[in-house]
Amino acid sequence: MSDRYSFSLTTFSPSGKLLQIEHALNAVGQGVTSVGIKASNGAVIATEKKSTSPLVDTSTLEKISMICSSVGLVYSGMGPDARVLVNKGRKSAQAYRRVYNEDPPVSILVKEIASVMQEFTQSGGVRPFGVSLLVAGFDDKGPSLYQVDPSGSYFAWKATAIGKNMINSKTFLEKRFNEEMELEDAVHTAILTLKEGFEGQMTEDTIEIGIIGGGSPPTTATGEPLPFAFKKLTPSEIKDYLSNIA
Amino acid sequence: MSIMEYNGAAVVAMVGKNCVAIASDTRLGQQAMTIDTNFQKVFPVTDKTMIGMAGLATDVLTLRDRFRYKVNMYKLKEERTIEPQTFAHMVSAALYEKRFGPYFIEPVIAGMDKRNQPFICSMDTIGCINFAKDFVVAGNAGGGLYGMCESLWEPDLEPEDLFETISQALLNAVDRNALSGWGAVVHIITPDQVITRQLKSRMLDWADPTVKDKAVRYTRL
Amino acid sequence: MDARIDLNNIGFDFDLTKRNAGLEANGATAPKATKTGTTIVGLLFKDGLVLGADTRATEGPIVADKNCEKIHYIAPNMYCCGAGTAADTEFTTNMISSQMELHRMSTGRESRVVTAMTLLKQYLFRHQGHISAALVLGGFDVTGPHLYTIYPHGSTDKLPYVTMGSGSLAAMSIFESRWRSDMERQEAIDLVKDAIEAGIFNDLGSGSNVDVCVIEKGKVDYLRNYARPNERAQKEQSYKFPRGTTAVLKTSIRDLVQVTEDTAMDIST
Repeated sequence: MSDRYSFSLTTFSPSGKLLQIEHALNAVGQGVTSVGIKASNGAVIATEKKSTSPLVDTSTLEKISMICSSVGLVYSGMGPDARVLVNKGRKSAQAYRRVYNEDPPVSILVKEIASVMQEFTQSGGVRPFGVSLLVAGFDDKGPSLYQVDPSGSYFAWKATAIGKNMINSKTFLEKRFNEEMELEDAVHTAILTLKEGFEGQMTEDTIEIGIIGGGSPPTTATGEPLPFAFKKLTPSEIKDYLSNIA
Repeated sequence: MSIMEYNGAAVVAMVGKNCVAIASDTRLGQQAMTIDTNFQKVFPVTDKTMIGMAGLATDVLTLRDRFRYKVNMYKLKEERTIEPQTFAHMVSAALYEKRFGPYFIEPVIAGMDKRNQPFICSMDTIGCINFAKDFVVAGNAGGGLYGMCESLWEPDLEPEDLFETISQALLNAVDRNALSGWGAVVHIITPDQVITRQLKSRMLDWADPTVKDKAVRYTRL
Repeated sequence: MDARIDLNNIGFDFDLTKRNAGLEANGATAPKATKTGTTIVGLLFKDGLVLGADTRATEGPIVADKNCEKIHYIAPNMYCCGAGTAADTEFTTNMISSQMELHRMSTGRESRVVTAMTLLKQYLFRHQGHISAALVLGGFDVTGPHLYTIYPHGSTDKLPYVTMGSGSLAAMSIFESRWRSDMERQEAIDLVKDAIEAGIFNDLGSGSNVDVCVIEKGKVDYLRNYARPNERAQKEQSYKFPRGTTAVLKTSIRDLVQVTEDTAMDIST
């Protein structure tokens, strides 16, 4: 009967744990590794794109999603669960825009998504999300990188990793990261981090990278500064990075 | 009788050189009867942003409180001060939510943004924003104020000159409006300070704190 | 207030309708909202389409805004001119633009003009004409250039040249006499400019400047104030008052910046 407290997720175990949340974290721990690095002038998130069979058309897989033009995220864990959070995140970014006529700051969007995840640890008839997220964005305060966990807790990082290989990846990042690193370097470092413990051949079709920032901010036709926009690197752009590494 | 004329009001905002000004009369009436000559219609939103509201006084007070609540919540949630542009859109969204049962107020917003650029705008009762680079007006002295502003306003007025321009525009507009006047207040917002001045306008002596003789009599400026 | 932004509350709030009806029953009249009296037009040319609008907003007989923007952004390849109650055109186009962005993110494709047109007509029909937005929607998508008019009750037209608003008759007279199929880009811009100017000069609800938006395949040119036929004459003299003109009863100053004496910066002690 040791697991009698693991069924109802709204029940604490006598030791003070909510076991369903720990199980959700285990699901994340089995997920494909994702890394994120905050550079001095931007942020990058990257992940492996793994398919269960060589017959899958990998060009249709998408693990990095844009939430609004200034924020993007990547997940480790269960894809379908992440999709729900992406949809909610996008809707809440649009709801913010409709009131304030501007993109939400990264911290606000992270809080919104985190509070959805928290709600699913305290409601009846639901289970926690089987994903952790890395959220990268750029706002008035500069670039930022957050991690959000199934419990709804969130952290700001300079660089971090989630998923199967997170411990090794974080050790690697601790050695490689420095505060002055610019976005180009950060993309390289993110790829190198993924390469540690990468199973099989790393190609432009087996990893995904999203970046925001770098260079000078875009401007309108009249020269007004515009916020940086999140973008996913195309396979050919990723190929260029990979060829520089090899 | 229009609801907008029930209490009477005149509000105006102007852009100057590295400054903005917002001013209003201070009369509260019940149609032709004057109830109060020290009724405030312009309220601080942040250090460098103010909102003035012309229209039904009960809605002015309700919305003052609602906007204060919203701005406080914004500050707590976002850990930053709201920008005048952002505040304008927040007000606009709050008014349009009541599209089919509106608050009867026309807001005027004036402030300096984080880059210390002047910002002014006005809105109709359902939140349609009018961004202007020169001046905006609201209230039932609106027609007269438009006329005064069109002739008196010029670009790049220093704070002290902007004060004279907005004061004269307001005083002379309300002098030809039966429902507004009876005291006026002007706020000049610069990057460093907010200067608030009560103007001597056409009104009873007893309401004028500088006059020692409290005898109640009409006096012309 | 909920800690989270309420996603479901996208509708209207009718809290005050009863109170307002009571006020009106007692003889009060409701205020007028800002209208865009407006001339808005659109036409197809050889490589795309041109949208045009005047820039006057009115509140009854008063010109509320002399240079407002009536060509609203819907998507990177699509813009929409609005006539009617200014707040309605502004908020309706904003909301559809927001829905189009969500749709673009979830499909990963460029927006289509029919999609926006359908969303707009369904929204307006649902509100039975109470949202007074009369629109000219134009865009260039994967199926080519498209130009629609959408009426406040939700009906739509798809035509090669269209006009809307109180100046629509004046503008249409220009189009009817001069529009041809397969015009060159500059010809099309000039024709739109002339149509809007016909509205500006012959319809009192329209005025001030001409805004133009040219949409071609993969390219948008938003020409704000393309023509300014109503430039105000420079004032010959100034009405600047000498400082001290206005009598002041009381002054209070709130300093936002603390000016401190040298001790604050002195770290030697």
